[in-house]
Amino acid sequence: MKRGLLSLLILSFWVGAATVNAEELVVYSGRSDKFVKPVVKAFTAKTGIKVILHTGSSTALLNKLKLEGERTRADLYISNDAGNLQKGSDLKLFLAMDEKSVADIPADYRAADNSWVGLSARARVLVVNSKDKSVANIKSVFELADPKLKGKLAITHSSNESYIAGTTVYLRARDEKTVKQWLVGMKNNVEGSVYNKHSKIVKAVATGRKSIGLVNHYYIYRHLAKKPNAAIKIVLPDQGKNDIGVAWNVAGAAIVKYSAKQKAAQQFIEFMVSETGQKLFAEVNMEYPTRPGVSAAKNVPPRSSYKVANVPMRDLGKYRDATLDIIESVGMP
Amino acid sequence: MFAQYVRLDWNTRSVLATLVVLLASIPLIYVLYSSSELALSQWASLWSARLPELLTNTLTLAVLVAVGSFVLGVSSAWLITRRDFVGRRLAVWLMILPLTIPTYVFAHIYTTLTEDDGWLGSIWIGIFGPDNYPPELYNVFGAAFILSLAGFSYVFLLVSDALSRSRVDIEEAAQLHGLSRRQVFWRISLPMLRPAIAAGLALVVLHVVSDFGAVSMLRFQTFTLSIYLQMEGRHNFEAAAGLSLVLVLLSLSFLILERFFRDRQRYYSAAQAQKPKRRKASGLELVMIWLWLGGITLFAFALPLAWMLSWTYEAWVQSLITKEFWGYVQNSLVVSVAAATLATVAALPVALFHARLRNRISQGYLHLASIGFVLPGPVIALGILSFVLSMLPWIYGTMMVLLIAMLIRFLPLAVQALEASVQQLSPSIEEAGRSLGAKPWENLTRVVIPVLRTGLVSAWVLVFIDTLKELPATLLLRPTGFDTLPVRIWIEASEEMLELAAPASLMLMIGTLPVIWFLMRQHDVASR
Repeated sequence: MKRGLLSLLILSFWVGAATVNAEELVVYSGRSDKFVKPVVKAFTAKTGIKVILHTGSSTALLNKLKLEGERTRADLYISNDAGNLQKGSDLKLFLAMDEKSVADIPADYRAADNSWVGLSARARVLVVNSKDKSVANIKSVFELADPKLKGKLAITHSSNESYIAGTTVYLRARDEKTVKQWLVGMKNNVEGSVYNKHSKIVKAVATGRKSIGLVNHYYIYRHLAKKPNAAIKIVLPDQGKNDIGVAWNVAGAAIVKYSAKQKAAQQFIEFMVSETGQKLFAEVNMEYPTRPGVSAAKNVPPRSSYKVANVPMRDLGKYRDATLDIIESVGMP
Repeated sequence: MFAQYVRLDWNTRSVLATLVVLLASIPLIYVLYSSSELALSQWASLWSARLPELLTNTLTLAVLVAVGSFVLGVSSAWLITRRDFVGRRLAVWLMILPLTIPTYVFAHIYTTLTEDDGWLGSIWIGIFGPDNYPPELYNVFGAAFILSLAGFSYVFLLVSDALSRSRVDIEEAAQLHGLSRRQVFWRISLPMLRPAIAAGLALVVLHVVSDFGAVSMLRFQTFTLSIYLQMEGRHNFEAAAGLSLVLVLLSLSFLILERFFRDRQRYYSAAQAQKPKRRKASGLELVMIWLWLGGITLFAFALPLAWMLSWTYEAWVQSLITKEFWGYVQNSLVVSVAAATLATVAALPVALFHARLRNRISQGYLHLASIGFVLPGPVIALGILSFVLSMLPWIYGTMMVLLIAMLIRFLPLAVQALEASVQQLSPSIEEAGRSLGAKPWENLTRVVIPVLRTGLVSAWVLVFIDTLKELPATLLLRPTGFDTLPVRIWIEASEEMLELAAPASLMLMIGTLPVIWFLMRQHDVASR
């Protein structure tokens, strides 16, 4: 009995130590498993390099990288949020990549020193109940602070990465005072009850429990894929001449500076930047590939059809703390 | 002269006990160190900006859950120990089975069920019409509902244990003197139960205060969630440590309360005159009893189980239960077995040390060994991580780090379980062993361990169950790519892959069942 337990213990250490092999890449991934797996599968089929996914939340994994420093086992970091990518860059956790390998991606969607590259973009849009006349004329995210939406507005909790990133865009495109007032207005409108998931916002708007919500565009299409007759429509906000345009955020990847397998990691990045990789990475989630010439899924409004806020993605990292300060000072739930 | 040998053994034990306690104090040292980095002005802003709200939230939740667990736990314990009815043994089981479901699984299941198109949501709309939406769980009441369901079993266990030992003769005497049954309950039975109830509630409250899974799924800002968000979102370890320190003080007061009442309990459950008799329930009573217990079971166990089964079936039909899934099961079992074994072995010297000395030092050791109870899981994980990275970098990335964290988190459970049986081990038994020529090791394996068998098994089982369900420390400290069932439930639940979260939850439950059965057989509440 005792010997059995001892060998179990030894076995368990061995299991822990043996999970990483020489020809395998370790990816800390803050993106859903099901969205990363198709890309990984295609990459392994092409190159023979195996990939181990260590999934968690983008922020928690960046934290882990920071704490681990040079002792990390990670070779790559994938995040759903440019804010985290730039933050990692600022913390000098990533390797500056050769410009050539990422040149196909427009400069606004990668780090100034190419220490990370954006791979797919999502738009911050409004989901509106199509039967509800009271919200039919809303055209700007800033109208969400209007007191007439009291009890009708659905937003996520304020530690959601997309929420923070969107707020940073508005902060950069407008100013602190406007954003603060906007947050205060929304806080009053939600009456203390926020959602923990974007998909639940879409659902709540579809059933009529709420009238309008602020979400990433793909959640709407995900819902419509399951329920094509749902009473919801997408509104691309702030499209007027003097308006700021739709806030974008990118998911992207970076090579960890302390990786011992930088060459293989570089191959993985190049694969994700390639046309095949771009299609695979973006399409599973109905996002926009960042590489020009690779089109998004058919039902998504083409990127040329609307105005996007003119804020470089790296700002989402640079001004993240400023945004958090404002959110906290308002006491957003 | 043989006492001398024993004293020698004792020296070894006190060294071991000191080592274990030192290991257990690592997270606390980390918290003290990090919060000392906080400037006074930062403390002030933390105090004014966050603390009032967090204190209100945490305490409100604790009180609501205590009330909920009291109602559910005491009523069911009373019915089961004092009435004889058809299916009584089954009822005991039904009241304990909720312990097999972690709080985050409860939270996940109930948020899904109460959605407008969920099982409960559609029933609600069916009854109250389409304009009345089912209530939201993302608030203090939702969190209290979930945590009461997940926690009342502790109260049930402690109270039914006390009830089955309680002094029926006093109750009978009171009745003879003309008190009605109701008066007997309120004036005699309930006061006598006070220690057990208080101990049970303190346990529940401790779980509430340190719960991470449910409150983060329900987004209800308690101390633990706020600490996690500070660490995660802002990389602000100092603020997190400062908040942790406040939380430690809060939990410590509960812990001291619990110890206080547990020591008093000994006085109340003195020599037993006669076994309590269970009155046979009348037909009407039988119906009422089962309506009540059935109602509790419906929400605390049957509905979650039905949900798990239905989505697991879905996963099975879509053949989503792959080789990888069985890998997660294996990982979970390996960690839990190893952690339970380690924690039991580590708890032994601490418990022996206290049982023999019973002085300030040993009491202090006991408190330090309880750190796992008062610090939130994410903070323990962070403390261990910093310690390992700076002191023992060569074990970083192995399972060892995760196991140390589990050991520290669940050491208090093991120590508590051992304490009771350690008291039965009088020094003369050990001296007798040594006098008959047993060497220290032989004395340990042939005398000490057999006497402590019950306690050792309980300790092992309790740590096994809690490690199997552990989430926050595992999220941070697991070796690369090493996913356990809770980690997968977490990932799948946040992606709303119900058909993947369900089989993992079901496996967790099934994994806990045999050990709970084992534990129950030892205590055998049912037969008392």
